[in-house]
Amino acid sequence: MFPNVSGWSWTPLHVTFVTIFLTVAAVMAGTLLLAAWRAWRDVRRGRAESIRWHSEFEDLPLADRTCRHVLTNEFLHRTCDQGFDCRECATHARWTENHPAAAAVDFEVAGLKYPADRMYHRGHTWVKVEDGGTLLIGPDALSERMFGRIGSLTLPAVGTTLHACAPAWTIRSRGDTFRVLSPVDGEVVEQGGPEQACYLRVRPSEHPPALTHLLRGSEVRPWVLRELERLQLLVSPGLPSLADGGVLAEDLPAMSPDVNWPAVWGQMLLEP
Amino acid sequence: MDSALIARSVRRCSFGRFALWLAPWLGVLGVGAWALWLCLRYGLYQTNMDNRYVFGLWIFLDLSIIALGAGAFFTGFLLYVMKKRELKAVIGSAVVLGFICYSAAMALLAVDVGQPLRAWFTYWHPNAHSMLTEVTFCITCYLTVLLIEYVPVILKTRKLRQIPAYAVFEWELHKLVPVFALIGTLLSFFHQGSLGGLFGVLRGRPFAFREGFALWPSTFFLFILSAAAVGPSFILLTTWTVEKLTGRRLVKDDVYRLLCKVSGWLLLTYVGAKAVDTMIWINATAPRAGFEAYNFYLQKPFGPGTLMVEVLLLGLLPALLLLRGAKEGGLAMINGAALACAGIVLNRFVMTIQTLALPTLPFDRFLWYVPSWQENAAFGAMLAYGVIVYSFSYRYLILFPQEKELSRHVS
Repeated sequence: MFPNVSGWSWTPLHVTFVTIFLTVAAVMAGTLLLAAWRAWRDVRRGRAESIRWHSEFEDLPLADRTCRHVLTNEFLHRTCDQGFDCRECATHARWTENHPAAAAVDFEVAGLKYPADRMYHRGHTWVKVEDGGTLLIGPDALSERMFGRIGSLTLPAVGTTLHACAPAWTIRSRGDTFRVLSPVDGEVVEQGGPEQACYLRVRPSEHPPALTHLLRGSEVRPWVLRELERLQLLVSPGLPSLADGGVLAEDLPAMSPDVNWPAVWGQMLLEP
Repeated sequence: MDSALIARSVRRCSFGRFALWLAPWLGVLGVGAWALWLCLRYGLYQTNMDNRYVFGLWIFLDLSIIALGAGAFFTGFLLYVMKKRELKAVIGSAVVLGFICYSAAMALLAVDVGQPLRAWFTYWHPNAHSMLTEVTFCITCYLTVLLIEYVPVILKTRKLRQIPAYAVFEWELHKLVPVFALIGTLLSFFHQGSLGGLFGVLRGRPFAFREGFALWPSTFFLFILSAAAVGPSFILLTTWTVEKLTGRRLVKDDVYRLLCKVSGWLLLTYVGAKAVDTMIWINATAPRAGFEAYNFYLQKPFGPGTLMVEVLLLGLLPALLLLRGAKEGGLAMINGAALACAGIVLNRFVMTIQTLALPTLPFDRFLWYVPSWQENAAFGAMLAYGVIVYSFSYRYLILFPQEKELSRHVS
């Protein structure tokens, strides 16, 4: 095999064979090491959560990755390739420059209230900007009804840095844990909870905070309607119809205990 | 019991039912493991191979499963190099099938060669003039490639992706998978070819001997082409079988149709090339070696019917069925894929068993060979190993990403 090993001879055949084999082995080992080094670098730079989200996002069905402008019928077909972070999207920037969103109005659908003073993340959280520049964060109305009475809630400690689309808090219910995505970048300054006005108060990492990726104004209603449709599709055999002005029950899992709720929650919270 | 390990968005049967499904396969694996141990402990006299019949059931099966496992390299090539994005829906399954086929073949080869304590000699003192050396190195490297490609599929499991470092490594490794796909294509290309070339260079076996281009006899190219043609059919057939066994839709119709189309056209090309090669062999190669080709078909049970079945019934017919299936789907697609897979198995049988059975010297007799129970049990073990690994992979990994979308009702 190698020089000085029994059977080796300095013939073109031996040299060619060993060169090809060693080249292939070197490319394989080099590629593997490159992947390991890049992963180590990403973890050191604190990009792990962002990468995990992008990896999960790519695994979502195409229908769940629909662009926000399709929801509002501004585009006919478009799949998001930015992990729902429109701050990075050139198309979104160009579009909003020329077509500002219509003014926000409070609305209620299927018994779910969506106040106009809030912005919404596709992972079912809301953000409200306070006068002092801090941000209030909480789960949206659909998420609350969807989970009903939750088993336990783990909020990040004060001082924790949140990143948009990285986990903000976790919910444990029916023996399974679900992460809820943070809608913003910032530092947690106060914890709240289900019985309070919000789950978290956050000091944004930038001033003014970059919130262009959040749904607002006239975008919210079509998104909620679509999410209701998605929910109904997931649980339809066990759920009362939402058609014709029906109101969503306060505690859906209690109403339909036979539904595989962990699967529903996972898909609704964009966690495949 | 194990629901925490299963992806949330897919449904799987209860653990009890899964265990019941595995039980008989574990039994077959156990008997096979005992047979393999006997062969390693007491030597190859446990088999019915001898100095005259050096290739038996195992080499035939090795060639067959390696040809079927070509679906892995060819699907990877089509997805990452030819950018056929639809095949993302089956690449996970293709990698697992490739890994099973190649690891099973390696295991059988290790027992067939015997002397496990000296297995490293193959690598340290290789005979650079032997096609088997090329095969050994290529299969070893390719099995490593398949193992590396398997890693991202495993790291995507629900529990492992919770660990940020694993999720990041999976992401970075996945970005570099096209490099491995290219290496895999190169390795697969050469070892499939070398396996064919192995028979083509047998001057002492005029039934198999072929002329060709430079170093390589025509069988080198025919093996590559046939494996590339049937690989997608095997992926199609296994996906369809899993769908039927589990009662779930796993991939969209356009994926099936693309596999059908690729397999159909390649198989048609192969049948054409095989026909030309056979005509050259009948009219030139065999007579030059002192044989009239018809003499090879006088030995029962290998009459001319075997050649007709191989080329027409299990070659041309499945090619046409696959091309029809690419347009219409349905039974033509499945029948075409099944016949194509059967065709490649028959081809590998002819190349190994028929080649060795036929007499080549005036005093030779037609040589019979019936595998011993140890050989059959070892084959059963490889089959059981494949079913068990695939069953675990299907249950706990996401082999078919479209399954989530196609089974939206989760209650």
